[in-house]
This record gives sequence, C-alpha cells and structure tokens, in this order.
Amino acid sequence: MIIISPYSKSLRNGKANPKNYPYWKELIRLIDKPIVQVGIEGEEQLVDDFRKNLSLDELGSLVDQCRTWISCDSFFQHFCWDRQKYGIVLWSVSDPLIFGHPKNINLLKDRNNLVQNQFLWWEHTEHDADKFVSPEIVIESLNANFP
Amino acid sequence: MASVLCSVATRGRYNSTLPIVINAIANQTKLPDKLIIFDDNDAPEDMRNNFIYQHLFSILQHKGIKWEWIYAPKKGQHHIHQMANTMGYDWVWRVDDDAIPEPNVLETLYSYSYDEVGAIGGAILTLPFNPDTSKCTGKIEDIDREPNIQWAEIKETKEVEHLHCSFLYRAGIHDYNLGLSRVAHREETLFTYGLHQKGYKLLVVPDATTWHLKNPQGGIRSENNEQLYKHDELIFRNTLAYKDKKIVVLNVGMGDHIVFKRVMPHITNAEIFTCYPEIIPGRPIAEAQALFGDVDQWSIYKKMAEWKWTDSLENAYKKLYL
Repeated sequence: MIIISPYSKSLRNGKANPKNYPYWKELIRLIDKPIVQVGIEGEEQLVDDFRKNLSLDELGSLVDQCRTWISCDSFFQHFCWDRQKYGIVLWSVSDPLIFGHPKNINLLKDRNNLVQNQFLWWEHTEHDADKFVSPEIVIESLNANFP
Repeated sequence: MASVLCSVATRGRYNSTLPIVINAIANQTKLPDKLIIFDDNDAPEDMRNNFIYQHLFSILQHKGIKWEWIYAPKKGQHHIHQMANTMGYDWVWRVDDDAIPEPNVLETLYSYSYDEVGAIGGAILTLPFNPDTSKCTGKIEDIDREPNIQWAEIKETKEVEHLHCSFLYRAGIHDYNLGLSRVAHREETLFTYGLHQKGYKLLVVPDATTWHLKNPQGGIRSENNEQLYKHDELIFRNTLAYKDKKIVVLNVGMGDHIVFKRVMPHITNAEIFTCYPEIIPGRPIAEAQALFGDVDQWSIYKKMAEWKWTDSLENAYKKLYL
C-alpha cells in the first residue's frame, strides 16, 4: 500500500497553495498498488480510500504499514521522516535543501523555480503547474526506489 | 576594518541638544561609516532648510561621513534601534539625542571590539549627579540595589551584564524587544542583557565619557502614561525571572515542530512554548506573549530570512537555540 498526502495547508487568501502537486489524477492512474489518501475534511478526494482528520497516533500506525508514500512539501514529509519511513516528496517553489530531508527522495524539477525568499508566506507566490516534475518521472522514481 | 553605523533616535530636540550631538559625532577621532538620524517627531520637519543643520550636514559630507535622515514610524525607540541593528553594519554606535560624546568616545569604545565582545560602554555623566559606583557590580541581579556603573567616571575596564543609554554594540546578534510599549522602558537593559545571555562580553571602559544633558524638553521617551511603564517593567521582570532558562518559542507549523524534535534533546533547561503540545510538550504561545511581549525574537522564519539561510531548518534551529 502506498500513501498519498496530496495537499499542503490551505492559504488564507483562498488561492491554490503553490506547493500542491497539480498532476495527482494522472499520477494515481499510473500507480499499480493500493493507494490510501490522507488529509483533512474539505480536501478533494482522489482515491476510494480517503482517511481524513487522523490523529497523530492513527497516522503513525498507517505510515508504519505502508510500502512508501508520496507527498507535496507539507507536514507529512517531516512526520514520515521522523518515523524513519522514507518516501517521495514533490517539490516546486520551496527548497528541499532547507525544508527537506536527504533520506527522502526529493523530486525538484529545477532549482531556478525556487522562490527567492523561502521564508515569507506562500500567499505571495502563484501556483504554477510547470514547476513540478511530470507523473512519469514520479513513477520512474517510485519503481526504482520502492520496487 | 569592521563597519560602524552611528544611530541617533530623536524627538522634540531639533532646536536644543540634537545639533550639539551631531556636531560631537562629526568631531570624533574615529569617524563612523554612516550617521543615521531617526526622526520620531510628531510633526517632522525638513532640517535641510535650517541653516545650522545645513552647516552640520556640510561638515559631515566634507569629512566623508555618509548621513541619512529617516522619518521613523513613531512606535518607540526600540523599533528604531532594531532597524539600525539589522541594517547590515558590523557595529552600531547608538547615541542619545541629548548625550554629547567626547571626541575620543567612538575610537575608545571601538578599540575594545574583540571577537568575544558584544557591546562596550563608557561613562554617561549627568552633572552634578555623581553617585559612588566604586562597589557596583554591573550584574543584572544587582540592578535594584546599585546605581548604574556608567553614571560615574569609570576607572578601569570591567565586565558587566547590562549597559545604559549610549554604547557601541555588535549588530545583528540579538533583537530589541519589540513587545515593549512606545516608551520602551528598559529597552537597552533588555537588549544588552540579551547580548550577555548569548555569551558575549559587555564592557564598561575608562576614557570614553559622554555628557548626558538630560534635556527635560522632548526626548524619545517623552511619555508619562504610567501604564506603559508598568507594562514594560513587567516584561523586564519576567525576563529576569526566566534568566536561567533557555526560552524556546515554537510559533510555527506542525512540520517545523517535528524538525525541532531533533534539536530539543541538546537544549538544557528549556522553557518551551508551543503550538502543538502533542508534538513538542510545552505551554501555550499566548503565555510567551504575555510574559515577554514579543515572540518574534524567536521566529525561526524571521531569523532564517535575516541570516539569508541556505542550510537545513534543523541547523537553523541549532543556530538559534544552541
């Protein structure tokens, strides 16, 4: 089983979080293993098994059972790293050298896409789908690192 | 050679002590790289139209001292000092707008700017007041029991834990407490004690006298609301009450709390304030705000921005707290 954590925290201005991966539906179609989505109430459901609002204990138990996981840059990548369960993080404008963990697989399309000031609110940054790697690259990495 | 900014916060003294102070700065035996006047007047004026100031500005220019006149945000001098603190200079020499330094003051203070030193102050004399400071320790625990050591002539170099009024300090190391009210009561004590707590030496040194005219008119603290003084005094007392603790304020997201878990075991005697006690146990952030006024001084994101940080978040936490 693979966990997906598709969404980063909602922005206060209602715009799309620039860290949210835009190609989840295409990516999910390419994954040939059972998928569990985790997140919170109000987020778009992408697979049949969507576990919402889990406690940290519940989330931890689920993470311990999974083969691996795929996430945008959010709380989830830190949480799994802390449990020594490593997975794939899909980056765009935030810097994996600052906010990532080398033991995860950090897929960043181009460092030129990183915002200059990494420490401001994300409300100031527009979402841009072109700044993410394609689903094919994610699948390639998934198969290579977590066969 | 390290860069030195001279910072003067002023209010209500256009036509009394401020021009004397500017003149004294222009006549230093070691000149600062730049002088900034932070004008906090309720009705600011353009002093380039005043003939005395015209001449003073000409003298500064002739001596190669860059100068700038900034209209300050009227939030109190601690906001002004914090601006100066973060302007990218190595050292800031803060001079009150009614404190007249002898010509050798900056040169003397700067001569003690060793690597381990965070701030240096000289005598700040307000004649005829001349207390006996021979037994003063300059320690924070004695602040209610002794006159300030800088209020009388300083006979020999001495390490202290807080400084007063006007001094030279290492910039960008410690923040001014922006939670103080606009009277900024105790601001320099809190600031210099913070430098001391960060492991830097504070020195009082001889032969660096500043004459404090204590102009009863104007002044950056010209405010008589007793409640504001009480508010600031409470922050000061709380800071002293927790002086032996390492204050940790995690006013950040869940992921940041998780990363901090790796740093926490290395911090001894921590008093932790947290947004997610299920990840990092501790007291609510609101309590930190009530105790210390301003929690931005512990904002890891603000710090990383200031430091132009490119390393990991975990290492940023280590820099802030270890």
